[in-house]
Amino acid sequence: MMRVLRQIALLAGKDLRIEAGSGRTLGLVVVLGLLVVVVLGLGLGAERRGAAPAAVLWVAYLFSGVLCFEKTMAAERTDGALTALLLAPVDRGVIYLAKLTSNLVLMAGAAGVITIAGVVFFSFDLSAAPLEFAAITLLGMIGFAATGTLMAAATGSSRLEGGLLALMALPLALPLVMLCAQLTLRVFRDGGACGAADYATLAAFDAVFLTVGWLLFEWVIEP
Amino acid sequence: MSDKGDIPPFPPTCGAAEHAASDTREVASGGLEGEGKRWDVPLTVRAERLGRRFEDRVVLEDVSLEVPRGSCMAILGANGAGKTTLLRILATLLAPDCGQLRLLGTEIGPSAARRSNGASLLAELRRRIGYIGHEPMVYRELSARANLEFFGKLYGVPDPPARAQHLLEMMGLRGRADEPARFFSRGMVQRLAIARALVHDPDLLLADEPFSALDAAAAMATEVLMGHLLAAGKTIVMVSHDAAQSLRIAHNVVVLRRGRIVMSSPTSAVDERAVLAEVREA
Repeated sequence: MMRVLRQIALLAGKDLRIEAGSGRTLGLVVVLGLLVVVVLGLGLGAERRGAAPAAVLWVAYLFSGVLCFEKTMAAERTDGALTALLLAPVDRGVIYLAKLTSNLVLMAGAAGVITIAGVVFFSFDLSAAPLEFAAITLLGMIGFAATGTLMAAATGSSRLEGGLLALMALPLALPLVMLCAQLTLRVFRDGGACGAADYATLAAFDAVFLTVGWLLFEWVIEP
Repeated sequence: MSDKGDIPPFPPTCGAAEHAASDTREVASGGLEGEGKRWDVPLTVRAERLGRRFEDRVVLEDVSLEVPRGSCMAILGANGAGKTTLLRILATLLAPDCGQLRLLGTEIGPSAARRSNGASLLAELRRRIGYIGHEPMVYRELSARANLEFFGKLYGVPDPPARAQHLLEMMGLRGRADEPARFFSRGMVQRLAIARALVHDPDLLLADEPFSALDAAAAMATEVLMGHLLAAGKTIVMVSHDAAQSLRIAHNVVVLRRGRIVMSSPTSAVDERAVLAEVREA
């Protein structure tokens, strides 16, 4: 177990080290997320109350997440580094979990900036239930990243085109994202009121997506 | 982990047999040195009637070869002859559609490349294989040192920083070890790729055109390095387009044409003209 955790830390650490050196992925992801918030915010105009803020936030999280998945997998495919990883004596499930971890860290970083922009733009109040908001966002992102990381591996292979990533990842994660958006709306509107059953449902989604992703990754990844 | 300073000089000597008796062959030598010698050695690679097709196109057909431990085999052929596919099968990156493959004493089934590795035999096997591909297989955003240390840790090398330092010196990259590899010339990236393939001190080195992009000095240094590896009992299978260089380095040469072996011979028994004739007939 410790060996697996060390390998995940090594692989994810490598991704984050590359990102720290270039800052390209996080920069692009944050800019895209902010654009979504601003454009939709301006478009909604007087409709900025009600369900809109929660929906806009999740749309921004999703689009920035898709870009994250694509960029981190592209970094592996450039110069054939992925081949070197697949040749290493590391379980491919571990490679999946490491890639998922680095995607989650980048998504969380982007979500921090996007959420602050959302608070400024939509004036919603997070102070009533900040931990509930954080828990919903984290659980939603884990499930979405589990799906997206798997799809990025599949669509980046020679048989499929990278442009399919959004088309494949978003519909798969739709039930989870809809639930997250509804719970987020409840946090904004009612200042919390999410029950244990809600968190259990989110956790169940995550468990299913993670298990499926971990099992399928070695079948979809190609050097 | 063998150190360059510990590598014994030519001629090649082979260690204790680790394979079954049927996995040994008497091999005629050619190659770098030891011309005309014969020695009994275990086989590192034993492929029988390998076949592979991509959709309807047959890429490899009925390919059988044996590579004894401590020897070098050169695979030549025109573009599209199936050289890289064969090397990727030997690297366990691709599974053959048919045939039998035994690498370093381990039998590889048709589904091996897909099988979960982890603690499996395949993972242990991969720990003993080094692969130099068409692409450098390194991270350009990381420095040469960071790349080597990363892969060293991934392979469980005992002291990754020391191993990285040793390889950087060996490949002439010490002066630019801490620069991101994106600033490297193509030749320097190729030297880094060779160092990356050697970071875990593999018993079998698979090299797909290892001399591409290297200048004359670096190519010569790489030839010398390969000689040291062979002397240390390592096995090399390399794909090349340079017949003269292949005959100089390798003990055995194989020519592929449209996925089939059309020539297989000790290098001491053929000359460059004969090899080129077989390659050009494709």
